Amino acid sequence: MLERLESLRQDALARVAEATDAEALRVLEKELLGKEGVISEILAAIPTLPQEERRDTGRGANALKGELLEAIGSKRALLDEALVEALRDGGGFDPTLPPATPARGGLHPITQVRREVEAIFTSMGYEVLDGPEVELDYYNFQALNVPVDHPSRELQDTFYCDDSHTVVMRTQTSPVQIRAMERLKPPFRVIAPGRVFRNEEQDATHEHTFHQVEGLVVGEDIQVGHLTWTLRRLLNELFERELEVRLRPGYFPFVEPGFEFDVRCPFCEDGCRVCSQTTWIEFCGCGMVQPCVLEAGFSGREDVDVSKLTGFAFGFGLDRLVMMRFGIDDIRNLMGGDLRFLEQFPC
Amino acid sequence: MKWLARHVDLEGITPEDLAREITLRTAEVEGLERFAAHLDDVVVGHVQSREQHPDADKLSVCTVDVGGEEPLQIVCGAPNVDAGQNVAVAQVGTRLPGDFKIKKAKIRGVESRGMICSVRELELGEDHDGIWVLPEDLQRGASVSEAMDLVDWVIEIDNKSLTHRPDLWGHRGIAAEVAAIFGRELRELDTSLPETGEEPGLPVEISDLACGRYLALAIDDVRVEPSPEWLQRLLLAVGQRPLDLLVDISNFVMLDLGQPNHLFDRAQVSAGIKVRMGADGETITTLDEEERKVGIEDLLICSGDTPVALAGVMGGEGSKVAPETTSLLLEVASFDATTVRRTASRVGLRTDSSARFEKSLDPCMVPDAAAHLVRTLQSIQPDLKLPSAPVDVGAWEDPSKLVSLEGEFARSLLGVELSDEEMAESLRSLRFGVELDGGVLRVSVPSYRATKDVGEPVDLVEEIGRMHGYFQIPGKRLIAEVSPPARDPRQVLTARIQDRLSGGARFSEALCYSFQSDELLERLGIADEPRVRVVNPVAEGEASVRRSVVPSLLGRVEINRRNRDEVRLFEVGKGYLPELTDERGQPGEIHEAGLVLASPRSKDAAFNASARARLQGVIEDLLRSLGVSIEAGLRWRALGGEDLVPGWANPGRAQVLEVSVDDECVALCLLAELDPGCARSLGLVDELASDVAAAGLSLDALLSMPKAPASYRPLPKFPGAKVDVALSLPVEVACADAELELERSGKGLVASMELFDVYEGPNLPEGQRSLAWHLVLEAKDRTLDEGDLKKFLGRVERAAERLGGALRRESTVG
Ligand SMILES: [Zn+2]
Repeated sequence: MLERLESLRQDALARVAEATDAEALRVLEKELLGKEGVISEILAAIPTLPQEERRDTGRGANALKGELLEAIGSKRALLDEALVEALRDGGGFDPTLPPATPARGGLHPITQVRREVEAIFTSMGYEVLDGPEVELDYYNFQALNVPVDHPSRELQDTFYCDDSHTVVMRTQTSPVQIRAMERLKPPFRVIAPGRVFRNEEQDATHEHTFHQVEGLVVGEDIQVGHLTWTLRRLLNELFERELEVRLRPGYFPFVEPGFEFDVRCPFCEDGCRVCSQTTWIEFCGCGMVQPCVLEAGFSGREDVDVSKLTGFAFGFGLDRLVMMRFGIDDIRNLMGGDLRFLEQFPC
Repeated sequence: MKWLARHVDLEGITPEDLAREITLRTAEVEGLERFAAHLDDVVVGHVQSREQHPDADKLSVCTVDVGGEEPLQIVCGAPNVDAGQNVAVAQVGTRLPGDFKIKKAKIRGVESRGMICSVRELELGEDHDGIWVLPEDLQRGASVSEAMDLVDWVIEIDNKSLTHRPDLWGHRGIAAEVAAIFGRELRELDTSLPETGEEPGLPVEISDLACGRYLALAIDDVRVEPSPEWLQRLLLAVGQRPLDLLVDISNFVMLDLGQPNHLFDRAQVSAGIKVRMGADGETITTLDEEERKVGIEDLLICSGDTPVALAGVMGGEGSKVAPETTSLLLEVASFDATTVRRTASRVGLRTDSSARFEKSLDPCMVPDAAAHLVRTLQSIQPDLKLPSAPVDVGAWEDPSKLVSLEGEFARSLLGVELSDEEMAESLRSLRFGVELDGGVLRVSVPSYRATKDVGEPVDLVEEIGRMHGYFQIPGKRLIAEVSPPARDPRQVLTARIQDRLSGGARFSEALCYSFQSDELLERLGIADEPRVRVVNPVAEGEASVRRSVVPSLLGRVEINRRNRDEVRLFEVGKGYLPELTDERGQPGEIHEAGLVLASPRSKDAAFNASARARLQGVIEDLLRSLGVSIEAGLRWRALGGEDLVPGWANPGRAQVLEVSVDDECVALCLLAELDPGCARSLGLVDELASDVAAAGLSLDALLSMPKAPASYRPLPKFPGAKVDVALSLPVEVACADAELELERSGKGLVASMELFDVYEGPNLPEGQRSLAWHLVLEAKDRTLDEGDLKKFLGRVERAAERLGGALRRESTVG
């Protein structure tokens, strides 16, 4: 019997060693150590053995059982290890196969840049205001020192909404200046982004509908230097670096003195398409608020002493900022509602 | 620049310096260009010999020395070419205006290596006599621009930036600025009239205040002839085509001093000048040979009662100077800016003259301009005579005025340290008179600055500031009390909607025009809704201002479906309702989020696979994120019957969420499938056939609703029981009603409920459909057992029967 155990042992260990996967090992384990397995069979047969063989056979069988358990155990560990190792095999791995992606969607580039601008100004304590796009002539022109027959009206290519010209599509965000003065108590700082309209022929650089950001600061002792400082802060944040700027005369009826604020082209050293080869970009029109505009805006306000107030105002185009930021060459894309365009600015 | 140099010494100032300083201190220079730069490549040649062309009578063969080793043989067609002349030669390779490149050529068999140019070919004038014969003593081979002193620069300034400066509409005005900027003297202008005769002047009568001043001066013994070269060149440099001396000189004075003027043939105005308003039905034929209707608001210059000019706009054809004219009547006048502007825009005739008058010109300039014209003409035709003294009438007033400026006011507004004396100096350099009086500058504003531009102290601050140089003003930190800026709830809401729709629902934000085309509105069947309309649209049929953003988005579906299977667009925008116009005339404004979802028609028959159902899901998710829960008494309602369904919506597939605002029921959201007829007219057919849904969500309604911030519920302590339930119910029973019944049957135990199947078809009673839900039941205090489930299902069965249906199937899960 002991010989049988020995040959069983050699045979079983060899088969354990040869087992190639977990399933084969499980079958083998059942055959050897299961309830109806070989070892169980031997142990069950012990009472039928001669007395003197019983003890050794029992011990031998139990020892063999222990030995096989261990062999199977370590073999299983080995196979597990191999299995894990196999999962780590990089063969045929191609990370460039297209993944499953969530569908596309995003904010319009105008919204993206507008939010940036709003964040910069709100961090400086500015309130963000909104105003009507269909606007009264009074707010768009008259209160802004552009009376009915002012020659600058012709420059603005106004869309009129009625024959008497009392209602217009606003040509600028400046009417929000007057609406702010009517409602707020100085000192205050506001910006007003929004769409504006000019009756212009459309081409790659001209749109009849575009976007501006208006700014207005009213208080005591507001100076030209405050204006330039503020616009510099804005540009530094937007372009993330210090850019050369210059202030020069510009004419807008509602500011006096009025300025053009130019910024050195961030894209070139000596002229490029963006700056029309001039190395300067006309960034914004601005100036010190005309006293008569303050009078108009605060008229009837007993809580405000206009004679003590000064202020500055500015207005710049968002569309061009967006076009500069993303290198967009045709302004008509902005309002075109074409997904092939919109999906280029995931955010 | 040569023109400017007539008024101010520009010695030592480069064109670039000039352009930059004008930009920095006066008005933007938009362009700086060489006048006739092509002349740099055209050289002086000397005609050594001229011979008849062997095969052509009218051609000459010339040998021309251009300073090179070999003279050039050039064939020339001009009759006036001759040996011994100096001429302008364009050699092989030179480019002339009109992108005309000179090539080596054979002309009737004779080789020609260049071209002898005429004045006209060089765009230097209108001379038709033949080639341009240059003076003797020029160096052969030198460039014509150098040799003939034609190097000139054109400084271009946009009219727009001079709107407020009538004084800068002539070269002398700009020269005065240059003089002030560079600290030079403005040259004196001779504004004295030569001696005049004793004859009585032509009577002038003004019958309307729109003409403030009218000066009429007779000039005799003039000839109509070509202008001298210097005058032609000046005009050409500023882009004016020289015509004849009298026209040119009139233009010259306008461009020099900014004062328009007019020359009549005196024989045609012998009845005396009357300045009056037009009468209804009256007409005048202007110089451009157009007959124009005028009315009671148009100012006319008349001879007797016959209109001879449209005041300040254009002269009349009948009284124009003819080639044989020798006696003139010069008109220099002052017309009301508004009258001229209105007339010019009414008759659609914007001229150099009207553009100047509408800026409010200085009436004091009238006699100076008249004298300047006479003196200039006299320098060319010394024989001219003035038979009578000028007649100068009108109720004009000298606009010059006194303005007081506190020095401290200017310093504090500009934020620069300038003494009163320094400020006075800079004003004086601009020809203001200044006296210092304590801390106050008493400034006399000259008439040409006082008509419109300078009237208030702050206007003087501008003058001081720009002369000092705005660019030199140091930046100054804006210091103010710190408090968080107020936030506009609508803007906050807008941002949340944009973020949820773009980031969560993966919609792309579009910005569409505020105008909607009539064509689109027709296609969507909404053309007859009231809309704000612009009276001067950018194009025919583009006049309507939108009242909702949804149609704009629907208008973008077709183009996008050409390139994408699925189209998901949204926009948050404004709409205008004329029926809600307020007493000041402002139309009602609404704020709306529009959404559109389009995809190819789905084969998936699942109840929630349609574009409409998916869009509903997007909206409900959005509303939930905004704190609006659909369960809380808010429920979709199918539109029908009395409801107004927008033209673009399929009336059988339209639904609305209504809320009560100020006791009024308003639509929070309208959602519908695109009407199949509209889909067809939008071109969504064949391979573009689409399942389209659109919705409009009212921001105004959202803002008026109470906020329901997310609230916490403790996590369940005991595991829940999952059960699926299918009910067969009459189709009239709304799903939401069935769910309400399930909820009730749970007696508070229903933790969640999800409809997963809707089935209509065989195996169901007539007129019924089957709805199936996954349910989770939970109790706070115990684990639910079989008994609880049995009781629940019993109640569900009775509820289903009450609704006219039955419990079809149930199964406990897991
Ligand atoms: Zn550049």
